[in-house]
Amino acid sequence: MKIPAERIVIVFSWACALLLLGCVAVIVGYLFIKGGRVLDLELVFGDSSPIDAFMLKNQVYSGLWPAIVGTLSLVAAAIFFAVPVGVASGIYLAEYSRGRVKGVFSLFFDILASIPSIIVGLFGFSIAVFLHQHFSERIYPCLLISALSLAFLVLPYIIRTTQVALESVPLSVRQTAPALGASRLQNIRHVLLPGSFSSLAGGIVLAMGRCAEDTAVIMLTGVVASAGIPRSVLDNYEALPFYIYYISAQYSDAEELAGGFGAALILIIICLMLFSIAFLVKNRFMHQMTRI
Amino acid sequence: MKLNTTIFGISLFLLLVSGLSAQPAAVSTSSLEPFSGEKGTVRISGGTAHIPVMREAASRIMKFNRDIRITIAGGGSGAGIRQVGEGLVDIGNSGRMATEAEISKYDLRIFELAVDGVAVVVNPRNPVKALSSPELRGIYSGKISNWKELGGNDKQITVYTRDNSSGTRAVFWDKALNRSMITDRAHFAVSNGAMKAAVSQDPNGIGYISAGHIDRSVSPVALDGILPGLENIKSGTYPVSRILYANTRSNSRALALKFVDYLLTGEGQDLFAEKGFIPVR
Amino acid sequence: MRKEILVEKILFVTAAGSVFATAGVFLFMFYLGLPVITGGHLGDLFTSPWAPEQGLYGIRSMVAGSLLISILSLVFAFPLSLGCSIFIAVLNPGKMGWILKRTVQFMTGIPTVVYGFVGIFLLVPLIRNLFEYGSGMSILTAAFLLAILITPTMVLIFSESFRRVPVSYLDAVKALGGNPVQAFIHVILPYSWQGIIAGLVLAVGRAMGDTMISLMVAGNSVGLPRSILDSGRTLTGHIGLIIAADFDSLEFKSLFACGMILYVFTALIVTTARGLHYRKGAGSFK
Repeated sequence: MKIPAERIVIVFSWACALLLLGCVAVIVGYLFIKGGRVLDLELVFGDSSPIDAFMLKNQVYSGLWPAIVGTLSLVAAAIFFAVPVGVASGIYLAEYSRGRVKGVFSLFFDILASIPSIIVGLFGFSIAVFLHQHFSERIYPCLLISALSLAFLVLPYIIRTTQVALESVPLSVRQTAPALGASRLQNIRHVLLPGSFSSLAGGIVLAMGRCAEDTAVIMLTGVVASAGIPRSVLDNYEALPFYIYYISAQYSDAEELAGGFGAALILIIICLMLFSIAFLVKNRFMHQMTRI
Repeated sequence: MKLNTTIFGISLFLLLVSGLSAQPAAVSTSSLEPFSGEKGTVRISGGTAHIPVMREAASRIMKFNRDIRITIAGGGSGAGIRQVGEGLVDIGNSGRMATEAEISKYDLRIFELAVDGVAVVVNPRNPVKALSSPELRGIYSGKISNWKELGGNDKQITVYTRDNSSGTRAVFWDKALNRSMITDRAHFAVSNGAMKAAVSQDPNGIGYISAGHIDRSVSPVALDGILPGLENIKSGTYPVSRILYANTRSNSRALALKFVDYLLTGEGQDLFAEKGFIPVR
Repeated sequence: MRKEILVEKILFVTAAGSVFATAGVFLFMFYLGLPVITGGHLGDLFTSPWAPEQGLYGIRSMVAGSLLISILSLVFAFPLSLGCSIFIAVLNPGKMGWILKRTVQFMTGIPTVVYGFVGIFLLVPLIRNLFEYGSGMSILTAAFLLAILITPTMVLIFSESFRRVPVSYLDAVKALGGNPVQAFIHVILPYSWQGIIAGLVLAVGRAMGDTMISLMVAGNSVGLPRSILDSGRTLTGHIGLIIAADFDSLEFKSLFACGMILYVFTALIVTTARGLHYRKGAGSFK
């Protein structure tokens, strides 16, 4: 017979598991039911035809399409900035840095990873205003500033992913090319990076998810409630997470509220898709590794 | 015909408006004519009372000429004045007059767009529909904290207010509260729209919004026996009113000025009337 | 070989640039927040209330709000996370353990703003009707939602540190006739306390750093909260709300004081968590 302490642990742990599963089921279920009921082409494209909207022929004045395009452009731009810098820093950290330098650098990257996103937003906003006042009247909070701020926000994730991916290449693989006379750079370029590609790609996809969901950074750096499709990186833009926040605070009728639920459903689907892709890619990486 | 999902529209107006904007060319060619051949972006921010009108006007102009892009942000009157002054936006809206300091510092050009009241609102389920000035001050200072004291339900009052950047707050504080204190227990709403949504969801809430934003989701409160209806605001019987302004800089771009001019045409002024404001022309 | 050296230099400059940018954020905020500090306002910052119309820009309520909300969320999330980690790493009852683990991983992908959105329409009315006090927008409401937000962070770290217990220790328990729960109480828990503290500390950091949940459901009032059913404002929410203020005003500059507090706090947290985590010889905890 079990003593009570053990029984308590088991009951407690089952209760916690069921509670958490219940909470997630309620949150996601609520969104899928409320959002699923309203989500249709009209909610996304308003009174324009989807084909015109896809071709960017018609600015959609109502509907979620501008926010979707805004979020996608934002993610693309942020990743465009973050990946080269992040991967380069990650390679340096994994393959070149040693001892104290490595310790200091990785401490800073951990700090960077922990900075609240609103502070990155405040930083981006202040830089934009500073540049506006001192350099060019044409710089103000806009898509570019948001993308750069978001890139900064996800930089540590990409650095870490790169570092971990490179460092987890098995020693047998790592040492083969140098033994055959390859230089360090050649080894990185032809063996280590290709070998850790899936893991790296998985990490980058996760970083994309972070860019897509972040609200605090963009609400300080150029997202607006109504803008249409952005035409350049120096434009203001709309984005899904901000739209969700905006509607939650100030919907004026049932129709707008429905838009909010639709947007929340679309955003959660985008994030979960990215999450699943990252997961699948990483799993493939695991298989590759075990095959080697 | 498909309903135009104009954001911010009161559902009654939605029908009206979508009827108009479905064939913009037929209705408004003359007023929109100045925009033909134009290109570029107009950036608008600031006062949140203006937003429903700004959105509808922007939508009409962008449908008339697809090379024009108009972006609209909130932030409150203070933000609008400062951002236009700093050149961060082309038009900064405000629900209060720019101060002397702001005008001289930024070299502003000020346009009067419409007259608007600031109404005290409660949840429609709240039986309290009239307050005296001292009662209102009591609620906002936190001295009166239960609806029971005012003949309502035995429920704690939730006071909603706006931040310092809000012109609506400035006018309300000056003319309805007589510059008396606002309790630090008050919840904050970020715009007129947010204030309305908050009070419509909270059965014990009280807030103040632009009279143009009142719809069936909130109940206006008669202040000293006077309801914030359009007639009472127009005649001055309801004292808590203000002018809605658009601010530009003296060197603002022509397109931004054309936008303001459009708001002052007959069609633009009708738009203000449709959305519940009192045209100035 | 010259190319090799050039590439190494480029990589170094990139990495060093990222490091300097991290430090730069702090220096920049320090520079912009300097007037608040040198102007003799530093004391006022923590003692006076926030009342801009009276020229008072104290942020004590926001500090209190941030601390209260994050600690309360930890009070809810810690037992929950511990139970779930035991479920995943110790009990692991077949399919259910797998489902819970996947769900927790999946939760890290749910956008914060979505939690806030559901919170406004589901939790706020519930809290309002349940307690019959206030608007339902309260410190408690925000803490509940934050607890759900930070639980995956803790569960993943906890269950990882449980699993790091050497198999030989567990085999020893088994050889003595002990069951998994006994192994947990007598071996795993004493062995992995550092991992548990590291998880806790990181979760506090995550809770303190979150903006949207408190901004959306805590009501944002500026008074010092007297009960957990009162509305409150966090440092992060404060930055989000006051950003529209005049750039030259003291009101705006005080935001950088908030920023510095948050920055220093989270940096300390990370350093502590690293110390605890690396002592166990583990790699990165991200």
